[in-house]
Amino acid sequence: MAKVVPQAERPRPSQVASMTLLLGLAWLPLISDIAPRVSVFTGFLLALRLASLRWLVLLPGRWLMLPLTVAGMVAVLSDYKTFVGRDAGAALLATMLVLKLLEMHRVRDLRVGTLLFGFLLVSQFLFDQSPLRALYLALLLVLDFALMADLTARVGEGRRALISALRIAGRLCLQALPLVLVLFVLFPRLSSPLWSLSQQRDRGQTGMSDWMEPGSLDRLVLSPEPAFRARFDGPVPPQDKLYWRGPVIWHTDGRRWTGWPAGLPLGVAERLVDTSEQVAYQVELEPTGKPWLFVLDMPVRVPDGARILGDFQVKDSTAVSDNRAYRAVSALSYETGGLDLDQESVGTQLPENITERMRSLVAGWQREVGSREELVHRALAFFREEPFHYTLFPPKLGANPADEFLFVTRRGFCEHYAGSFALLMRIAGIPTRIVLGYMGGEHNPLGDYLIVRQSDAHAWVEVWLRGRGWIRVDPTAAVAPERIERSDLFEVLAAGAPLRFRLEDVGTLRRWVHDLDLLGDAITTGWRDWVVGLSRTRQQQMLETLGLGHLRAYGLALALIVAAGAVLGIFLAVLTRRTGSRDPLERIYTGFCKRLARIGLPRRPGEGPLDFAQRVTAARPDLRVPVESFMAVYLPQRYGAYPRPAGRRELERKLRRFRPRRR
Amino acid sequence: MGRARGSRLERWFSSLARRPPIDSAGVARLGRRYIYILPTRPGLLLGAVFLLMLLGSLNYQNNLALLFTFLMGSVAIVGMLHTWLNLLDLRVLVRGGPPVFFGQDGVFCITLEDDRSRVRGDLVARMGKRETTPVHLQRDATRSVSIAVATTHRGWLVADQVRIETRYPLGLFRAWSYPPSNARIRVYPRPAERSPVPIPVPAMKSSEQGDMGRGADDFVGPRSYRAGDSLRHLDWKALARERGLVVKQFGGDRAAQVWIDWDRLPALETELRLSLLCRQVLDAAGQGLRYGLMLPGILVPMGQGEIHKHRCLESLASFGNG
Repeated sequence: MAKVVPQAERPRPSQVASMTLLLGLAWLPLISDIAPRVSVFTGFLLALRLASLRWLVLLPGRWLMLPLTVAGMVAVLSDYKTFVGRDAGAALLATMLVLKLLEMHRVRDLRVGTLLFGFLLVSQFLFDQSPLRALYLALLLVLDFALMADLTARVGEGRRALISALRIAGRLCLQALPLVLVLFVLFPRLSSPLWSLSQQRDRGQTGMSDWMEPGSLDRLVLSPEPAFRARFDGPVPPQDKLYWRGPVIWHTDGRRWTGWPAGLPLGVAERLVDTSEQVAYQVELEPTGKPWLFVLDMPVRVPDGARILGDFQVKDSTAVSDNRAYRAVSALSYETGGLDLDQESVGTQLPENITERMRSLVAGWQREVGSREELVHRALAFFREEPFHYTLFPPKLGANPADEFLFVTRRGFCEHYAGSFALLMRIAGIPTRIVLGYMGGEHNPLGDYLIVRQSDAHAWVEVWLRGRGWIRVDPTAAVAPERIERSDLFEVLAAGAPLRFRLEDVGTLRRWVHDLDLLGDAITTGWRDWVVGLSRTRQQQMLETLGLGHLRAYGLALALIVAAGAVLGIFLAVLTRRTGSRDPLERIYTGFCKRLARIGLPRRPGEGPLDFAQRVTAARPDLRVPVESFMAVYLPQRYGAYPRPAGRRELERKLRRFRPRRR
Repeated sequence: MGRARGSRLERWFSSLARRPPIDSAGVARLGRRYIYILPTRPGLLLGAVFLLMLLGSLNYQNNLALLFTFLMGSVAIVGMLHTWLNLLDLRVLVRGGPPVFFGQDGVFCITLEDDRSRVRGDLVARMGKRETTPVHLQRDATRSVSIAVATTHRGWLVADQVRIETRYPLGLFRAWSYPPSNARIRVYPRPAERSPVPIPVPAMKSSEQGDMGRGADDFVGPRSYRAGDSLRHLDWKALARERGLVVKQFGGDRAAQVWIDWDRLPALETELRLSLLCRQVLDAAGQGLRYGLMLPGILVPMGQGEIHKHRCLESLASFGNG
């Protein structure tokens, strides 16, 4: 050890051990999130620290710290190739914090550790936002506060110190809760990030691809990153018209859907036959690394350099590698023209794994209905009436996803619905294609634009009907009608929650389990709705219910200040309120008199303690001993020149034992 | 660190700071207008951490991270209120300890009393650069701590700038108050290492053979060695204490009674004279003599005993400035 640290500034071994333990506990869930080499390194350091509490020699000296630090950085670098970005940043933070642990020679170092510990906790939410993880980390945070309390005002030793610190931390957290709630609900959120720390190589991944298979949209629909922003020249169209068209896919091998077959000519789109409800808008697209542009159904005019292909997908001349702003005009109400032979044959192409039950399902419908249009409605009714669930976390599907989804799992989101619906239509011989894109968008009142996020990613179906052209069918909407009305990702989840099992004829236990399941689902949904998914939109809705909607973000800030002030004001008022008399002696005497008043011997106004005591003992000779012994301590304590410090405690003891009863 | 930052800035601030009134018994109650509070260094660090986490979680639109950020911030704010409450309505009484000689530390006794039925932790009393170890105060309890303060001059050691401070509960904020007090400690002059022997005065009845001045029976007092003094009379113990060569004087028939007189000392600087007189008083008291003290304008009559000694020393302490 290089320098001798004064005894008073040296942390206790138990405090260092607590810090080590806390870091270890915070590191445990990170193992699955950060790269293995970093985990192993930090785990080794933690073990070393724990061991050095017992064998001090093991503690690396100052000269060893530098190589260790370098080793930590190399471990991070070898796994992530960088120090910036979410993952590498969190890994580096964890490594450095654990390294710092080896250097905690002073109380001051430990204090810094307890503060930086907060970083480590918060950074974990970038990986996982589940309620369980939150609960666990909240517990660690409380323990961290307890350690801070222990470092500041240690009371006693061992268990007593632990309990005292825990009590302080627990009380502080409970008292802070109202303020946390106010801040959390009312603190204005950003509608888009200020900067993006995601690495360059991540950029291409966030965009939408031109193929689809079960699970391909997973990472998109869970990402709140914006895909693009749109400003309309006029009013924003209703949500159920906001279908942002991206790549169109035609061909399927039974699992994967891909674009227009390479060898065939697709040509340029024909002119739309009917184009009304035209809207003009500007789109600011985030980099996608792909050539297509997103436009509303159906594009009429596109920017220079871009083409509308035969299936109405819009392709730019080059891939969008930087932010790209463009203007476009779309017709919300339209009629496409006829169908060429290529489109008809590719649009009815079927994979080899169509099963018999799929065919018989469609055949059944065909017997029921007369026209192809009715058949489409019949198929939608199937999704509506059968117990299909909309969930972002569907069960894994095997080799024949459409069949499994339709008849077995029945849980999925847009890609499952679009894919299976398209197959059913093709079985019936209706030309069908799938459109990938985004649906809806969140209106940002501050900048008056629509923000469309990756989580708004969607897939829907277009069927070609004679006389009407290609029309849009959204089978997902048949399952969750709310999907059309609102765009919030987590409300979609709420719509997927109800389970439509008949529960009357199952046993109590099953029903109980099912109720628990429902409860868990409700908690998860509520969690996503109100904790993880509390957004700008929802804050605005709350303001509107309060009648403050017109104030926008200013209203939020105002409400925040008022509410936080009120919470702190009430808190202070409660804590500084005087309970009874300010003088403890006076309080004891008041308690003494109250007990006598309860048995019918109230002190008269202006009656001194001596007179009062005499009157009491005259009326109740049986109380002579306790009353006189009380007065024997009270009088010198109150009026004597030298009150004893112990006197008050003695009086309190006497008061506690003094329980006069009526006769 | 932190706590021992008695600087010019601090002195300037404390001269401006409002001080709570004290009652007749000298007890100050730290009311709400007399408590100051500022973040400590860890508190400032937490502020920086909080801002970073806020920015990060807003940017990543991560609500849970935001929730935890707010939890840390709110706990800090609530903790700040507790820091303030930890001092609120604390009753403080500062009392001076026994007199000390200049050069020794004066000890003040600071009594802290809870008057709100609150448990109070981490109470530290500070005077200048000295501070007490943290005190934990139970509900309605009273505790006393003592703090030793270096003396700076003869006369009074005044308990000015007593500072009661706390960082309870989390160490993120420091609250403090300056309870005034009229506590003071007598500071006697620093006793000189040795001094000339005061003049013995004859007792009421003198010896019939006449006063020989010296004898061998009664120890009268020490005196510097002069050439020719008997080695038998050398005070070896004094030599061991590095007080130089001192000879023990023995008076024969003269009574053990001396006047300790300012005027009998060479005309030295005042403090030096006082410290010589102080030594004389202590020596005389140590030898069990009857002695009196004569200072310009002050006369302490002949006497003996502990009370008399302190009366003399007090006169020396207050000489020239009351």
